[in-house]
Amino acid sequence: MGPYILSGLVLGSISAVSVLGLVLTYSSSRVFNFAHGAMAYFIAVLYWWLTDDQGWSVWPAAIVSVLVVAPLLGLFLWAIVFRRLTHATPVVRFVSTVGLWVAIPALARIIFPIISAGSDVQTRGLGGTPPGQFDVLGVTVNWNQATVIIGAAAVAVGFTILMRFTPLGLMTRAAVDSPRVAAIAGINPSAITAISWMLGTMLAGLAGVLLSPLLGISEIQFTLLLVVSLAAAVLGRMTSIPLAFGGAMAIGMIQGLSEKWESANLGFVEFSLDGFKPSVPFVLMLIALLAYQGLRREQFEVDLRAGPTEEEVAPAARLTGWKAAIGPIAVALVLLSVPIWLNDFWIGVVSQGVALGVLFLTFTVVTGEGGMVSLAQVSLAGIGAFTAAKLATDAEWPVWLALLAGGAVAVPIGLLLAGLTLRLGGLYLALGTLAFSQLLRFTVFGRDDFDNFGSGVAIDRPEFLGIDFSISGGRDNFYYLLVIVFMVAALVVVNLRRSTTGLVLTAMRSSEQAAATTGISILRSKLIAFGTSAFIAGLGGGLFAVSFGRATNVSFEVLVGIVWLAIVVTWGVRSVLGALMAGILYVVVSPPTDKLSFIFVIIVVFAMMGETARLIGSKAIYTARGALLGVGVLAVGITAIVLLLPVEIELSEKAKEVPTLLFGLGAVFLARQPRGVLFDVMNRIRLRQLQRERQLADGATAEAAT
Amino acid sequence: MSAPLLTAEEIVVRFGGVVALDGVDFTADARAITGLVGPNGAGKTTLFGILSGLLRPRAGRVSFDGTDITRASPQRRSRLGIARTFQRLELFGEMTVREHLVVAHRVRMRRDRSLLRDLVGLGSRPTLDEDETIAGILELVGLDAVAEQPVILLPLGTGRIVEIARALATAPRIVLLDEPTSGLDVHETEQVASALRAARDDRGVAFVVVEHDVELVLELCEAITVLDFGRVIARGTPSEIRASTDVQTAYLGTRAAEDVAP
Repeated sequence: MGPYILSGLVLGSISAVSVLGLVLTYSSSRVFNFAHGAMAYFIAVLYWWLTDDQGWSVWPAAIVSVLVVAPLLGLFLWAIVFRRLTHATPVVRFVSTVGLWVAIPALARIIFPIISAGSDVQTRGLGGTPPGQFDVLGVTVNWNQATVIIGAAAVAVGFTILMRFTPLGLMTRAAVDSPRVAAIAGINPSAITAISWMLGTMLAGLAGVLLSPLLGISEIQFTLLLVVSLAAAVLGRMTSIPLAFGGAMAIGMIQGLSEKWESANLGFVEFSLDGFKPSVPFVLMLIALLAYQGLRREQFEVDLRAGPTEEEVAPAARLTGWKAAIGPIAVALVLLSVPIWLNDFWIGVVSQGVALGVLFLTFTVVTGEGGMVSLAQVSLAGIGAFTAAKLATDAEWPVWLALLAGGAVAVPIGLLLAGLTLRLGGLYLALGTLAFSQLLRFTVFGRDDFDNFGSGVAIDRPEFLGIDFSISGGRDNFYYLLVIVFMVAALVVVNLRRSTTGLVLTAMRSSEQAAATTGISILRSKLIAFGTSAFIAGLGGGLFAVSFGRATNVSFEVLVGIVWLAIVVTWGVRSVLGALMAGILYVVVSPPTDKLSFIFVIIVVFAMMGETARLIGSKAIYTARGALLGVGVLAVGITAIVLLLPVEIELSEKAKEVPTLLFGLGAVFLARQPRGVLFDVMNRIRLRQLQRERQLADGATAEAAT
Repeated sequence: MSAPLLTAEEIVVRFGGVVALDGVDFTADARAITGLVGPNGAGKTTLFGILSGLLRPRAGRVSFDGTDITRASPQRRSRLGIARTFQRLELFGEMTVREHLVVAHRVRMRRDRSLLRDLVGLGSRPTLDEDETIAGILELVGLDAVAEQPVILLPLGTGRIVEIARALATAPRIVLLDEPTSGLDVHETEQVASALRAARDDRGVAFVVVEHDVELVLELCEAITVLDFGRVIARGTPSEIRASTDVQTAYLGTRAAEDVAP
């Protein structure tokens, strides 16, 4: 028993230190930092570099990493990202921090080349190498473990003193309670927020430095650190520091103790608790969310002045008549011509991208139209994929029927989930769906009948009307089929947007209060968005599995889904073209041939150039001619790269991190342009047209007047 | 005299230890503009929340045309014929003026319940009846010129009228207006007032107006209720209210009231 309690205490202490930082930054800026674990990773890697590569001794290294570099990192990130997020929409807040989550580890590996992605290294701990040991109540404790527990206790005491008894603490509490009143009283709220981000990053860094000697530095460990911190923050209702601290301890203890009973033998039946330990944070988080629902509703009734949920951006003049058809027709022509100018390998890659594009339309509906951040879409896609694969392969249904069934099965599950979590709204909805997804992953997808020791369930390509869709002879046909499915799905989404249902959803997204008093049932509208998106997710998941040859657990990991959402939002979550672009780009980075990443890099660079041009004030790229030129250069660039493909380009380890880094930067830019890259470019072109038309019209009136 | 259209009886609301409304009675007649005034913190906005269904009272009863609606949701109230506007504009930021009316009208006509037809692109075309109704409302309140404009490009005063038009598109019998002229200049205030009169005269819609601007209420309303510190201190026609010493005390302080009193 003793060792398990000790292990739980150590785990709990580390995440308690971490959650303190998370709650602090959330309360001061209302930005929930999904990059918290990534920051801890960065500082831990720095600490390792100092001790291992630079030969520093542990204490100076720890002090420099945690007390000097961490606050600077926090200040820097606050200045470029977090500062802008306080007044952004929930979706943008979420995606921007997710972008950092992806980009910061990549940055760490570029700056400190001693570590590579997927590696797992053990650092030297503060307790000496090897750490000394001593006995407490018959349990052997080493000094690394002791440092963690002492460190957490010291942080708890120090933090309490800081908040209760110092002017800084008083000002922080004032600014957290009411930024406006605090500002009137002469407190600079943004200085307070900056300080809280510095402190928050320090705490993340400390957690990282404490964690790395015990569990090693790997992205997985730091993601788990984030996950436990998330759950603890929810237990503390996001803002209560003592509750969150206690919650982190409790989760650690339960996880520690669960190791004792890895499998329980009840005499007649033995059942495995394998999936239990990783599920603990999510089970607790889900219970807490559902329990707090009642509390929140009362709070909502008092808060009459809840503002609009979507920032108001001037809608550009819509294209009408034949002009409106140019875009879709051009995209269709480009898509259909792909087999002419790409080789077989590439057709396979783009096929997967188009299938993923269908899947990504799920975000267009639930997040773009419905205004909800759901992290369960990837699991709904997984349900669709496994259902389709099981029906097609085991039950020998026709593949196309199995795919539709996959979509249909996802709908009731999506509606059930929506019914449970919709009332939560905003960030809580995101966290609730995250917990649901993780539970599903551990309890269902992880089972041997689905996971099949990592190889998943095979699914063949469809066959009907005597057309060959097989991998050997029907590559092109299969690709055309996917393009047609995408077109149909995109048309359905566009229809939805333009219909009465779309109007109702738009109304709800702008102002739930006004929508409700206009007679719109908010719950019903959200359920419609969720149900429709669940079907698309299930169908898209199945198609993705077919294009891949099998439905596997790893394709539908929750983290994968989070990155998907971030990519879709970066490209434009309100645009079906955005979903397609995001899908194709996502698979283009994934294939094992490293040089392909260059294409992605170039495309992203072009998108970013647009943004940069805007930032430095040059508008040339947004003129129709500029856009055309851009597309032309892009086409030439891609062709050149495709021609160069046979030439082997050896990419260094560093260069492999570049696409991830750029993607993260994309999310940072998103903080400035919330509607996504595509919207930004299109909007500017249209506004420009509109301006010119107005000038012409004004000129005409002026002439008429004279 | 017929029974009033909207009635609140013995309403009590507490926020924590603060009593916001302490046994308030309120009535509004059909086809009339009823004013609800009072100094800051009198409980106007709270009573408004009770009438529109965003707040639930601790005690008391709200009824509409004989039906108890104390616990009815905003959606149900809307369907019964109660609409409202907001003090801080709550427009649908991505829509044009016309779309505001279209969505309100279609929800009223239950045309928002055809998901499958919507997905295949049918069932979302405007009907003749819809076009006529919406054109009628736009003309009535004087918005026809800006019908196709996105609302976020409109000035505040026009935005307020869009809220009123959206409320009218739900075919209401009564519209609750939360400080419809706050932040407006004299000209815009007059526009809003004439839109209200036109809707009342032409459609027989009743209005409840919560206002700071006492002069406007005295000029616009047939009946006025005055709140102070969560209680009703006066009720009557504009001339009765003008003469009431209680109201003068509440607004101008005791001294001034004594000065005015004969």
